Amino acid sequence: MTRKPLNKLFRRAVQCRDQSVVDRLHDRGHPNKKIRQSWSKYNLYNLQRFRTPATANRTFFQQKWSAKAASRAYHGEQVREGQWKRMFSKRIRSVIPMNTTDLAADDGSKESSGRGSGLSSESSGGRSRSRLIPYTQMAFAPLERRLDVAIFRSLFASSTRQARQFVIHGAVTVNGQKMRHPSYLLNPGDLFQVDPDRVMYATGAPKTAFERRETRQLKQKSDAEGEAEGEEAEAKAEATEKDEKENTRDSLRALMSQAKTIMSTDKDVLPAKRKQELRGFQKAVRRVLSRSDTSTVLTDSLEAQFSELTLLLKAKRVEKKPAKESKKDVKEEAAPAATTKSEEAASGALSEAFQAAAEGGEVDTSELTEEEFDILKRALTQMRDNPIDHSKPYATPWRPRDYMSAFAFIPRYLEVNQNICAAVYLRHPVARPGSAEVPTPFGESISTPAYGWYLKRRW
Amino acid sequence: MAPRIQSQRVSNALLPYLTSSQSSSTSSISSTYPSSQLFSRQFSATAAPQTRLRRQMFQWLSTEGAALKHHIPGETNYLSGRADRDGDSNEAPRPFPGNRTFISEAVLSEELRNEVYVRVVEKKKSLRAVSVELGIDMKRIAAVVRLVEMERRQRAQGKPLALPYARAVHEMIPTTPLAQDGERQTFHEPINDLPAHPSTGAQIFYPVPESRSFTRVDAGRVFSGAPALEKAVADKISHPSDLVDDIIQNPNSIEWVGKGENARQVLQPADVRIPHPQLVKLELDRKAFPNERRAVAQRHAERVEKQEAAEQQRRERAHARREKSIQHVEPEGSRFDYRIQDAKFTKETTGADGRAPWAPGRRYGVPADDRKRGKVKIPTRVEA
Repeated sequence: MTRKPLNKLFRRAVQCRDQSVVDRLHDRGHPNKKIRQSWSKYNLYNLQRFRTPATANRTFFQQKWSAKAASRAYHGEQVREGQWKRMFSKRIRSVIPMNTTDLAADDGSKESSGRGSGLSSESSGGRSRSRLIPYTQMAFAPLERRLDVAIFRSLFASSTRQARQFVIHGAVTVNGQKMRHPSYLLNPGDLFQVDPDRVMYATGAPKTAFERRETRQLKQKSDAEGEAEGEEAEAKAEATEKDEKENTRDSLRALMSQAKTIMSTDKDVLPAKRKQELRGFQKAVRRVLSRSDTSTVLTDSLEAQFSELTLLLKAKRVEKKPAKESKKDVKEEAAPAATTKSEEAASGALSEAFQAAAEGGEVDTSELTEEEFDILKRALTQMRDNPIDHSKPYATPWRPRDYMSAFAFIPRYLEVNQNICAAVYLRHPVARPGSAEVPTPFGESISTPAYGWYLKRRW
Repeated sequence: MAPRIQSQRVSNALLPYLTSSQSSSTSSISSTYPSSQLFSRQFSATAAPQTRLRRQMFQWLSTEGAALKHHIPGETNYLSGRADRDGDSNEAPRPFPGNRTFISEAVLSEELRNEVYVRVVEKKKSLRAVSVELGIDMKRIAAVVRLVEMERRQRAQGKPLALPYARAVHEMIPTTPLAQDGERQTFHEPINDLPAHPSTGAQIFYPVPESRSFTRVDAGRVFSGAPALEKAVADKISHPSDLVDDIIQNPNSIEWVGKGENARQVLQPADVRIPHPQLVKLELDRKAFPNERRAVAQRHAERVEKQEAAEQQRRERAHARREKSIQHVEPEGSRFDYRIQDAKFTKETTGADGRAPWAPGRRYGVPADDRKRGKVKIPTRVEA
């Protein structure tokens, strides 16, 4: 039996030393049962079809063995067994959320009155309501202190293995210092930061073959540019002359229509098409801004760009109140149906405005409504924050990788700032009534025997 | 070859920023793959390209799993959540179908984070006050201030940020929003968590006469093996929170029991050990003087102020003591700051013979064991 795709993957994994490819390979090689700390679709399928192992007709030892095997495949699969055994602690941290009103109401004598558990069963109504603390769900809590696991839990990497690779490759700092040990145990208050580009790569959709080719071409082009610089400059000069001749009205119309298509939520537009639109819009903005005298506008802040753009196009805001009200009416009508509809209505109004502007001939009369300004602004923001950039190792504009949302959660013991890809390990994970903070896909029927397995005196 | 699962339609996720304000549905991927491929192999002599399991997997991914591929902005999209999404939607989001005890809890929204920063840094409020106002743990507030500070610095320096990623993540997981004007702020998390003390794990049978009132103070003493309080002392304590003030002013006033290695402090009642003990006092005052709202609030503010002053004073004293024992040396034209601390030669610091392995400095005749097998040299802490 041949497995061609597997071999191809193997080759890629060896060539690019890419942990996500290795992960995929790993998951594909073992499609059976094991749940891993990974966001792959293979893992999602395994997570979905995992069933608690049967206990009937099995000895207690066998039950513990299989529980341990299943949970260790998820928790600290990268850690040797002996290493984990040394880390294991039977003491489990837990907290009880206290209610200050209850504390103020009683000094404890009411609860201990009678035979030690309160006078009547009614008075202990609160007691019966309280839920049990799932202690054994915290069996693998010491592993959550590891740097690689914490990076995965903060959603900075798509698997713990990848997080580990980030650490080893020097993309992670702890308290501002580069840390190269994935097994570094975080202390409460430690701040760790991952290189944002790596995070975008780990969590973003991968490039398609087409995009990879474009990257290659870009690279070749930039190599070739070094040789033939003079010719390019002449061609550019001609192009700018042509641009200057262009009518401002035309450029305004083109710009806004492009902004509109970018903003449209139409699902039928294919990604390639959408990308073309984005690129066109980008070019148009460049072209318009290059006409301005100040050359710093392109690199300046968004506000400066926007104001410059509107100034150059001599666009004005609508100041009539009735027009605004009609807009609101349109919105209110569309709101109950769907938000997309209001967007459509807005873009419809926009095109009308453009037609009017085009027919009017006078550029100065082109008045834009608040909504149109908003659309233009948002398109600009989008272009700045999430640009098409083939030099990046992920598909651009960035979008989350497939199936990421099924694994996206951040436990409470971490405080994460996604903008700078930094997080603080606040405290050790704790259990509280009804919930445990250690993220584990297994229920108590697995975690309890697994906890028992690692006790010094096994039960 | 595996069937390639590709959505024919593109989702809004392509433009994460733009979708956040629109929150339109994206998940109408109607790509039920024709399974003719599965049955057309009967007469083929070639080995099956994939196992049954793989086939089932791709089948699942194209049917039930298809909805998990892309998220809907503002909603969680977990395996377990999908089944009861139609039913009761107010149930806590659980990412793992097999684990009912793990909940995907909300994170601070961008606005709330900035609000915390503004209140602490610009309005100069104390962490404790902001924690009570917004219902956020004090440690988290300190971390948020640190992170936002860092973010602002990076923005000013023009360093690359992961903005589309941040937006996508905040669309996928539940967030605690900042209250609009006039709304009440939803509390982010419980702020008065009492850590379970290890000594309370023991099950103790302690006979007490029914006529005697047995309070939390007494229970703490029993757990730590301390003798019962004398009646004169016990009568002075009308409520366990009376102990709070003394202990805040002087934490060393807590009584010790046991000898040598067994020495331990007496376990204090929950009223003392929670992060915001003043709130219990406030509740007591409210109950005692229901009509004097303003006076009660003022007294509470005074108490909090007193506590903060005491804590600040203690911090300063500790810092001064540390600084006193360290000598700073900054050579001319050097970029280094040497901190020299005198070694103390006591039995604890250098061992009985003065050559203990943990003693400072190199010792003649004692080989360094840093190259020995099994010596872990991974740092255990990184100074901030």
